[in-house]
Amino acid sequence: MRTFEEKWTAWLDGKLSGRELTEFEASLPDKAAAEAEKADAKKLGTLLKREIGTYDLANEEFFSRQLREKIVRESTRRSRKRDSAVATWWTVRRLLWTGTASLAVFLVFAIFVMHDKNPAEQSQYLTQILNARVDSVVSPNATISMFEAKEDRVTVLWTEGLQSLPADYAAK
Amino acid sequence: MQTEATLAQADVSELDLVKRCQAGDTEAFDELVTRYRTRIFGMIYNMVHNEQDAWDLAQDSFVKAWRSIKRFRGHSSFYTWIYRIVMNVTIDWLRKKQVKGGSEFDDAIQLKEVDPASKTVPKENALPYETMERSEIRAQIDNAIAQLSPEHRAVILMKEIEEMQYHEIAETLGCSIGTVMSRLFYARKKLQNLLKDVYENI
Repeated sequence: MRTFEEKWTAWLDGKLSGRELTEFEASLPDKAAAEAEKADAKKLGTLLKREIGTYDLANEEFFSRQLREKIVRESTRRSRKRDSAVATWWTVRRLLWTGTASLAVFLVFAIFVMHDKNPAEQSQYLTQILNARVDSVVSPNATISMFEAKEDRVTVLWTEGLQSLPADYAAK
Repeated sequence: MQTEATLAQADVSELDLVKRCQAGDTEAFDELVTRYRTRIFGMIYNMVHNEQDAWDLAQDSFVKAWRSIKRFRGHSSFYTWIYRIVMNVTIDWLRKKQVKGGSEFDDAIQLKEVDPASKTVPKENALPYETMERSEIRAQIDNAIAQLSPEHRAVILMKEIEEMQYHEIAETLGCSIGTVMSRLFYARKKLQNLLKDVYENI
């Protein structure tokens, strides 16, 4: 909803019409006085337009030349800034992000590689042998050694001094 | 008188100049400056009433326009776009300078009761229009305008001198149409009070 000031301005500039115009004019306590005010405003406008108008720019060419020099300096400063921006592309933030990303990639690869390099599960038999107790009375000097060739997936169990195998040893 | 075809051609030509500016062509910008320097200088002078200040502000405005030329999207004419920059630069400068009288005018203070038929009060020392020198008239007008706030000054000059529409003024100043109309109301009232003796004899 328009304020009184907005309606007055629109009325003065001839922008009110139809019902809005009728209602506004009806709301004016003294239409004749308002019309006189409107005429005064028109005269003011005419006066301003006539007396102010365009103010000539003296030394137009000098104005343009001076401006040109400022813009050339501006452009030179910008290109220098761009060059130094390339040299300083590696900001602290970028360094941190790159470092974090590199570390993440390294960890991912490390986990996969380590997983691949995990030794094969011990054979069921080896586990049984190692878990089996050697009777120290029967075989006091028994030793068990394990040799493994990972590339060939060969595991050799070398026993020495074993007089008998433990009773609970058996392939299941 | 320019035909529609001529105007359309001029618009295309201006758009072409702007595109060249956006590509870094300073000669194209030079051409745009040549087209608008007088009009822009004149507008700023009417706001600040000092040639040197108007010169500096006009230069600053054009430099700012050059810096932000890549942001011009063509939704309005180039003149409207640069005009906005000019007004912002000038009004900011005036605010900082705190022009006496203008800064005392507060938009928030509204007249509670405005008699639409209120007559302005004539000055006591009225001089016949015929005996006034042109320069005296101009001085009176300048003095009256100087008593407006920067924002009121801008709207009255844009409306009465530049003959801009409400929505164009609103777009330039970055305010609503209602605000423009309200400011026009108070600016006209104040100038009518101050210049009654001058315009009454027209």
